Amino acid sequence: MTPRLRLVSPSARTPDAPADAASVQTRSLLIHAAREGDVRAFATLVDMYYARCLRFAMHMLTSRRDAEEVVQDTFVRVYRALPSYREQDAFEPWLFRILGNRCRTAGARERRHAEVMEYGEVPERAIAARHDTEIAWREEIERALYSLPAEQREAFLMRHVEGMSYEDMCTATGAGLSALKMRVKRACDALRLRLTEVDGV
Amino acid sequence: MVSDEQDELIERIAGRLRPLPDVDPAATARVLVAVAAERERDRERAARRRPVVRWLGAAVVAATLVTALMLGRDRPISTAAGVARSGQPPVLDTPATGMPAATLARRDESASARQPVQLVFRAPNAKQVSVVGDFTGWDPTRAVMTRDSGSGLWTVTLSLPAGRHVYAFLVDDSVWVRDPRAPAAPDADFGRPGSVLLVGRP
Repeated sequence: MTPRLRLVSPSARTPDAPADAASVQTRSLLIHAAREGDVRAFATLVDMYYARCLRFAMHMLTSRRDAEEVVQDTFVRVYRALPSYREQDAFEPWLFRILGNRCRTAGARERRHAEVMEYGEVPERAIAARHDTEIAWREEIERALYSLPAEQREAFLMRHVEGMSYEDMCTATGAGLSALKMRVKRACDALRLRLTEVDGV
Repeated sequence: MVSDEQDELIERIAGRLRPLPDVDPAATARVLVAVAAERERDRERAARRRPVVRWLGAAVVAATLVTALMLGRDRPISTAAGVARSGQPPVLDTPATGMPAATLARRDESASARQPVQLVFRAPNAKQVSVVGDFTGWDPTRAVMTRDSGSGLWTVTLSLPAGRHVYAFLVDDSVWVRDPRAPAAPDADFGRPGSVLLVGRP
């Protein structure tokens, strides 16, 4: 008899940042239960946050495989650190602090192989051959993003892609408010300068 | 001057970066396997610590007794008493590893009590099947099953220590299935189904 198979991850789609009061309450209950050792609650947290963590890591790193490894490592560290997490603190900045640290470590490793990665990920031939302007625009954005210093890229992503408040960003990065505002501004200036010329869409 | 927050170009750039990536179910499965392995290591560490804590407790009691004897009697002191007086725990007769003899004896006993166990699972369409369980540290690479092309059966023979084990099959790195031939485990990890395996002593 063939056994009935059960999927480990219930859905490939993970909701974006939960916003309404009910989902915030659910999230708090899940975090509380996970802290108390409820492994099902932790698995649900992984399902809830995996896609957002992966998006951030994929924009911080050049390789999806590295990004998946970083996210996996992040959740293992989150699991390990949950007993020291204070429930009155916001969960997402705490999670992104661990994720950001892992991305910085992995990014430093990637930079040691920068030449291989740069030409390996987006071959020049592919750029010349592309016809779809939407894809071209998107690739150009990614190239511009990767050209930013890591701390500016991180600040830009947290502010404009993850929609975090500056207060949460301070918690997530350990940097001060003015430093973060400066990083975001410099990132925006650099992206604007680089992408204005190719903005044909 | 337009701030970055309202800048149309910045918003368009961010808009292209916001769509969530497709999530590979195998990747989230790997996360849970890695966390389960971490949990198993915690348990092992705790189990290893317990006898040491007991030993330390016994050592403190022994040191106290020796000190009390020294204070109560005015006679030549033994080597152990001398150590106790200098504030160090007494050195017991333990192997070079520092592990209490009782712990080592228990491990030797479990090593000699290993039994060969064959696990069989039918999944004719699977490309890869592994056994994950407390005995592999939930590592899917440590017990990869072999497929019999004719029957669609996957098998692996493991040498397991005596006792109760919880395990499951991981199919194609993404699907977690309990063994339909074994009793379901009430304490399956991370809400995933698991089975119980009892290995007897030889």
